[in-house]
Amino acid sequence: MLIDIRANATPEDSRTHVRFAFQLDEPAFAVRIHFEYSPKRLDDDGRARELLKHSFEKYVLPEQRALAKERLDRYLPLNNLITLSVDDPDGYRGACHRHDPVQGLTISEHDASPGLMKGKLAAGEWTITLSLHAIVTDSCAYRLQVWVEDGERKGEQP
Amino acid sequence: MRWTACELHAHTLHSDGKMTLTELASAAAKLGFECVALTDHNTMSGLADKEAAERQAGIAILPGMEWTTFHGHMVTVGLAEYVDWRQANTGNIHDGVSAVHARGGVAGLAHPFRIGSPACTGCYWEYEVEDWNDFDYIEAWSGTFAPIKTDNARAFALWTDKLNEGYRLAATSGRDWHDAAETDEPISVTYLRLEDESRPIGEEAVEALRRGRVSVTIGPLVTLEAETPAAFYRIGDVIPADKRTVTASIGIDFSVRQGHWALADPACRIRLSSNQGVLEERAVQATEDTQKIRMAVQTEGLSWMRAELWGIVRGVSALIAFTNAIYFD
Repeated sequence: MLIDIRANATPEDSRTHVRFAFQLDEPAFAVRIHFEYSPKRLDDDGRARELLKHSFEKYVLPEQRALAKERLDRYLPLNNLITLSVDDPDGYRGACHRHDPVQGLTISEHDASPGLMKGKLAAGEWTITLSLHAIVTDSCAYRLQVWVEDGERKGEQP
Repeated sequence: MRWTACELHAHTLHSDGKMTLTELASAAAKLGFECVALTDHNTMSGLADKEAAERQAGIAILPGMEWTTFHGHMVTVGLAEYVDWRQANTGNIHDGVSAVHARGGVAGLAHPFRIGSPACTGCYWEYEVEDWNDFDYIEAWSGTFAPIKTDNARAFALWTDKLNEGYRLAATSGRDWHDAAETDEPISVTYLRLEDESRPIGEEAVEALRRGRVSVTIGPLVTLEAETPAAFYRIGDVIPADKRTVTASIGIDFSVRQGHWALADPACRIRLSSNQGVLEERAVQATEDTQKIRMAVQTEGLSWMRAELWGIVRGVSALIAFTNAIYFD
């Protein structure tokens, strides 16, 4: 296992990137990534409404705020959003900007999960970047695992 | 020279869209588009299927990416190379725009007034802009039935304000298209004027965005030209300061994308707008062909003018179409 991390994010971590580097000592056949975070949803309805009302102050014109509050439900539920991007020793290998809180990803010479770019997996320093777009729950636990799969074995999550 | 119907903001399953690139291109072709920009969030991996999708759908695909950052979304089109979005902070967006330009692309503000985090993360534009000329365009119309949305009215007003301040930048539409589900709401089209048809459509389309050769509509194609005895100017052009009067010629082509839109109420108004307000307004009746309306314009004090088509859409008074500006030096 090249990376196996469990951590927690809080609302203060919103709008930050967290980077995790790993080393490939030799070119690999495939790199596999398992990423998940929980909870996805802010279930505290009162808190969600409070957050939205606060954002209306910032983003909605004063004369339209009453209407925005009336239609507040269309923005519910509020969700945590963390997305993942990958860099190899030579540069960007793509991002998986989607809302799934559990993502199993593969990147290899001939194939890659949507959002990532297939191609040779060079030796050197690789980086996984987690972009914490919004954390709306008091705490959001995430787990990131990265491992190499060799050509013979079909990689099962260890 | 010809106008080409483009969709400039679309996603696939390489980010959070529901379609493959071939499905997206085919859906765009079915709606009468000749060109669609792939602007997935923070990745260009979908472009691996570009040639195959173009062949299958029979339309052009523009490479692009939507910078989906914490402080704003920025659509970038026309560059085949990735530029890193993760360095962006509220004070350095111009560095990102410069990098996009250096790779041959154009950059525009995406849905700048859509509600931001946490409802839609980073959707509201919060970047400090030092020079609006650095941007190629503002996505003034986002989503379907764009002209009636208050966020879009704010974006359109922002564009007008910047024109009034003397900046020269384009305004576009983008559906921010994520899924294949059909809609009965009016769909916006950004028409781009291709000057040199011998060049690849993709290159000319990006050049049109760069030069403001743009007209936006939910129905007919509205164009604007200006004539003096010696010269002829089109949308995006600059009329020299010594021209005291010009003849503006507004074209309204009701025959475009037939079957894909309809105006239930044919009574419309065509307006020539400028930094000095409305220069002239006339009633027009929607027909099935092209109408030309000519107006004499005194240029003193003018820095820009554009044509706007207004009418009743689904029972609401709405801007149906607007051209980009012709500028005055």
